[in-house]
Amino acid sequence: MASSMFDTLVRIDCTAKKAASFAVGPGLKSYLGGMGYGTRILVDEVDSRIDPLSEKNKIVLTVGPLTGTTAPMFPQACIVTKSPLTGTILNCYAGGFLGAEIKFCGIDGLVLEGRAPEWSLVLVEDGRVSFHDAKPVMGKGTAETENFMKEKFGSEARTLSIGRAGEKAVAMASIFSETRTFGRGGAGAVLGSKRIKGMAFKGTHAVDVADRAGFAALVARNMDILKAACADGHNLVGMFSRVGTGAGMGLVNKKGGMATRNHEYGVFPEGSEIDGWAYAKKYYTRAISCFGCPVHCGMLHKFRRRDNTESWLRGPEYETMFSLGSEVMNPDPVTLAEANQLCEDYGMDTLTVGVTIAWALEMGEKGILKESGLKLAFGDSDAILGLIRKIGEREGIGDLLADGPRKAAEKTGRGSLGVAMQVKNSGFAAWMPRRMKGVALAFATSNRGACHKRAPIGDEIMGKLDMDSYEGKAPIVKGIQDTVNAIFTFVACRFHEFVTPKDMYPAFLEAATGQKLTLAELVAVGERIWNLERLFNIGAGFGRKDDTLPDRCFEPIKGEASQGAVITHEAFNRMLDEYYAARGWTKEGVPTPATLKRLGIED
Amino acid sequence: MGTRFVFDFEKCTECRRCMTSCSVSKTGVVRMADSRIDILRHWPELPDIRVCRFDDCDGHPCIASCPVEAISEAGGIVAIDREACTGCEACVDACPFHAITMNGGTAMKCDFCGGDPECVKACVTAAIAKGRPVGHPRHGSAVPGPTSAIRGEGGA
Repeated sequence: MASSMFDTLVRIDCTAKKAASFAVGPGLKSYLGGMGYGTRILVDEVDSRIDPLSEKNKIVLTVGPLTGTTAPMFPQACIVTKSPLTGTILNCYAGGFLGAEIKFCGIDGLVLEGRAPEWSLVLVEDGRVSFHDAKPVMGKGTAETENFMKEKFGSEARTLSIGRAGEKAVAMASIFSETRTFGRGGAGAVLGSKRIKGMAFKGTHAVDVADRAGFAALVARNMDILKAACADGHNLVGMFSRVGTGAGMGLVNKKGGMATRNHEYGVFPEGSEIDGWAYAKKYYTRAISCFGCPVHCGMLHKFRRRDNTESWLRGPEYETMFSLGSEVMNPDPVTLAEANQLCEDYGMDTLTVGVTIAWALEMGEKGILKESGLKLAFGDSDAILGLIRKIGEREGIGDLLADGPRKAAEKTGRGSLGVAMQVKNSGFAAWMPRRMKGVALAFATSNRGACHKRAPIGDEIMGKLDMDSYEGKAPIVKGIQDTVNAIFTFVACRFHEFVTPKDMYPAFLEAATGQKLTLAELVAVGERIWNLERLFNIGAGFGRKDDTLPDRCFEPIKGEASQGAVITHEAFNRMLDEYYAARGWTKEGVPTPATLKRLGIED
Repeated sequence: MGTRFVFDFEKCTECRRCMTSCSVSKTGVVRMADSRIDILRHWPELPDIRVCRFDDCDGHPCIASCPVEAISEAGGIVAIDREACTGCEACVDACPFHAITMNGGTAMKCDFCGGDPECVKACVTAAIAKGRPVGHPRHGSAVPGPTSAIRGEGGA
């Protein structure tokens, strides 16, 4: 029977500059693809105690059953590796066109291992892998590196790259793909540690499905749902369709949940200067889609830089409007756009970069940190842009900051750790745990640290759930974590599930590959992945002590609209107990043998 | 009945649903090289849309270029008989719109799906739409769609 999966992965040994394909066996196949394949392979092949930047670490780059098909909103590729930022297992995603092109290469993904003898570019042409000299692009930014590869390997090639930050092992270095980003957790530093500057993919394979008529009907149904959502200006996806992910900043401000000034305040009064509507009004704007997506939330803007030169930026995304906007008290859309461009050029995660800078600015104002040539103060454009450069270069204070907010605070001392807004050294996403108690639990328990992708954000901010209540949040967060892990095996865009009924996922899977799973069984795959990740992290030394939040979260939010929202240690610990119980883990957060047996995890 | 596409390049989000739907309708599978329409990336400038222009093509030079008369026009639709095609590529060179490609040894081009193009149905922003006949008072106007590029006050 035809299938949308090729059941083939490629193992690339960077040390020997050799590659060989291997078949996906039934054990791995039960993890469906994407994040499932990545997690299972990493847990099986990588000792959780290794140094993430040693040659023993691996990068598993995968796609899923719906990648490269006509199903809408499945453009992303998934990377699983051990994070140099958190020391935990990491999964991260980039949209655009990379995922589909990997599938068109006739493979479901690849495993990158070892360390190349010299800096290299890797070309994957259908199943064939070749290594090329990276010298001409060493020290270059991500866009220049990818343009070089497109000139060298063909304009139709789809590419990924690291910038200088990845070359210099900056712990918040990302992997970029045509402005889309494997953003979180420092995957760029891992690719750099393998001495791979970039990769290009060119595929000619056809993607078929098991049941063509059934699949087409599902696609038509899903497209109708998405088109209706996009036509509705009050629907979140509809708002994204109009001005991008920055559409909702006004709403979050109104609810007192707009993380501002290193998470001290819950309202950023200048938000309307830098949100999605502001960019669309001020600048020429063109909507850009990922592969096959009708939502087109990517907004390409033409603007004038501070030096009055004309420039383009796709973005900023909402999370960046927070991290390099409200969190650092920057109300200037041009500074924000340039800060975004700098992160893109160096190849860094705007979130952890911005949160780390916010911490440094607060330390500057308190007289604890200083840096020659820069005035470390909130809202200072030169300081914000200057610190991004220094982090990307690991220069001066940037060398301290480049290891992440927790590590920087541990070295700095003087009470600075309590206001480093991070979990497991990963900078907070744009949400306030004090304001939204489900987010508090999701940040604290995330396997990759302070993650917003598996939090009840929509339900809490839109008022479907009482955001101030701890009641019942533990099973809700568990459910979201398991469900999102499940759809990340496909690999779905996070926004797909905002409007798509969940019963469509097993239906899509069966029509694409012939695999029959109930929705409950599909979510159970997500739970199995969650527990595999947890076991890896426990092996790496993590436990209950790390499932917590910085001290600032246990002090009331300042300013209006937040009603002094706060988290108490008692209530937080009770919620964590309830969460561990719902997961079938011990009080210390370790999966019990009975739980592992229930989930079919043998080892 | 006109056989024309109209384009609004600013509305094209480069999603390529036109290409995947074309490929699936012609071959049953997604294979980008099988698409009769192509979106060319000129990032960050607007993309090109490569497909046959039918009524807007002056004299259909592909027809005359074919040494074996494998290309013909009927009711505005210019089509290639791929059984008769010898793969000489003369039409590929003759097409002023670069809308003919070689595929599996023979020339391939859009056939307007016989009058109801799949790409038009697939395009959610109406960046590509069916045009009105030549001579129609609004024949050259872009078709309004659900979304479009937003031109801000500070725009270029």
